[in-house]
Amino acid sequence: MKKLVEIKDVCKIYNPGENEVRALNHVSLTIGEGEFVAIIGQSGSGKSTLMNMLGCLDTPTSGKYFLHGQDVSHMTDDEQSDIRNREIGFIFQGFNLIPSLTALENVELPLIYRGVGKKERDRLASAALKSVGLAKRMTHKPNEMSGGQQQRVAIARAIAQAPPILLADEPTGNLDTASTKEIITIIKRLYHEGRTVIIITHDPGIASQAKRIITISDGMIKSDIINPEYKDEI
Amino acid sequence: MGTFGEYIKSALSSIRNNKGRSFLTMLGIIIGISAVLVVLIIGDGMKATVNSEIDSMGASSISVTLDDTKTDKRFTRSQLKAIEENIDGIYGISPSFTVWGNANSKRGEGFELFITGGSESSETASGIKMLHGRYYNSSDVEDGKQVLVVSQSFARNIFGYEEVVGETLDVTAYDITKEFMIVGIREDTPMDIAFSSYGEDIILTADGPYTSLAEAYGFDMDNMFNSFTIYLDSENRNEVLGKARSVVENVTGLRGENAVKISSGSGFDETTNSILDIITSVVAIIAAISLLVGGIGVMNIMTVSVTERTREIGIRKSLGARTSSILTQFLAEASILTFTGGIIGIIFGITVSFIICKIIDFSFSVNPVLVAAVVAISTSIGLFFGIYPAKRAANLDPIEALRNE
Repeated sequence: MKKLVEIKDVCKIYNPGENEVRALNHVSLTIGEGEFVAIIGQSGSGKSTLMNMLGCLDTPTSGKYFLHGQDVSHMTDDEQSDIRNREIGFIFQGFNLIPSLTALENVELPLIYRGVGKKERDRLASAALKSVGLAKRMTHKPNEMSGGQQQRVAIARAIAQAPPILLADEPTGNLDTASTKEIITIIKRLYHEGRTVIIITHDPGIASQAKRIITISDGMIKSDIINPEYKDEI
Repeated sequence: MGTFGEYIKSALSSIRNNKGRSFLTMLGIIIGISAVLVVLIIGDGMKATVNSEIDSMGASSISVTLDDTKTDKRFTRSQLKAIEENIDGIYGISPSFTVWGNANSKRGEGFELFITGGSESSETASGIKMLHGRYYNSSDVEDGKQVLVVSQSFARNIFGYEEVVGETLDVTAYDITKEFMIVGIREDTPMDIAFSSYGEDIILTADGPYTSLAEAYGFDMDNMFNSFTIYLDSENRNEVLGKARSVVENVTGLRGENAVKISSGSGFDETTNSILDIITSVVAIIAAISLLVGGIGVMNIMTVSVTERTREIGIRKSLGARTSSILTQFLAEASILTFTGGIIGIIFGITVSFIICKIIDFSFSVNPVLVAAVVAISTSIGLFFGIYPAKRAANLDPIEALRNE
């Protein structure tokens, strides 16, 4: 298995000095291409910091982060933007859709920043929306859709430009049981289509859907196991 | 360009989504731009109206001078005649020559006299109005006759009544005394009015043929004048201005020496114009302050908008928007607001100035360069006042921005 994410001895320290907070304390982690990983931890465990780090939204205080073999631990803001655009599809707890844009326009956003032309953008965005079952909702705005539908738009946005990593931060945290099932099914399907999926969650029920479970606590990795209960079915 | 078009599109959609607020923001620009435009257009109208009033007075003059730093030549009498014949559309030309003298008449005592010598075309100078008798004519000039045209206050002061045609007086200047005959009485000119408040001494004025004055007091007429005035109707002004230089240079043989200075006119309309320009600029500057306030309004609203849309900015950044993408989007938004405000302001300003010009009967015209400049200015106001909020937006930390509710 090819290494996709390689974190070596990473620390993230807030407020360096007397009241310093070690959000990540010498964390090392390797994730290969095509893995399905859940990172589970309580709030304050450092999992959000880890997710920001993995998503190139933040840089480590010390240590190295290699993404696709490229050192991304010390990049400028614009370089990070480009990496996020190319490598990472985010799925957030709060969906993070832009309310004034239609579903289609929201899905097109990362493609705009990549410089994809209008026609190709339309094609990719509608294909992505179709693949999450929203072919009929393309011109709807977020507030005209249910939470589950909004999260599906967000997933379409994350996969529209086919990034190697899907990074899902509590993707079902705001959803009811039915929608949660629906979203998990879609995420599993994406994994089966060959994407690398990383889910960050505090919910053991969600984590147990993944093939590999990493537990984080106090900024350190406590366990990293292959999920014995994993069912390889959708 | 494609990507830039997308930023414009998203700026437009954000403006559309906040119609009320966008309009209020534009209102400041609309008022500022239209205020500046109204002032400038009405200023132009005022100038055009005043100028056409001046022109409708009919008489106008152009003065021609030989630059004595470039040449020591003087106009000879025959050159003056040749110049006069070679410029079409003029009443005539007149050299100017003044004599301060002392005059005695049979009835009056000695008094100071200021005599302006010229040619018969001086009669057409603005402000000359005959009351009795006649102005000196071409044969007076040609033959150097000792005649004078005196002012109304001259007649009143010296003779006690106005109808003094045919009276004689002795004028002493440069220790030479000559007898002159009065052939006409004219109304007082501004010069008489100026002299009347000169002091205790009464200074009176009279006009006479430059030939006779020069002859009488021993001047060499072929070597004394380095300037003259062209009298003409203001309708022919531009045409004459265009031709005068080459005629003068040809006649005097000064071609290519840049020694002939032409000053367009009595200076009256120039002075008036420059005063009007100053008034217009002062008022325009005051109006421009409202434009500045409008610009600050744009900055204010854009800052609020950035704060409100912090989360949106975070989302865009997480999806790969660079700093410059966000900057462009918000700058585009600010410029579109002010550009649109500018266009509306122009339409509004032109309409208002048209109405005002109609009401107060000023001539109305719109200078296209002015309109283009106003559009450019209003767009750059957007860029300038948009920079601060746009930079704030662009430099937001995506993690912080995403956390924002």
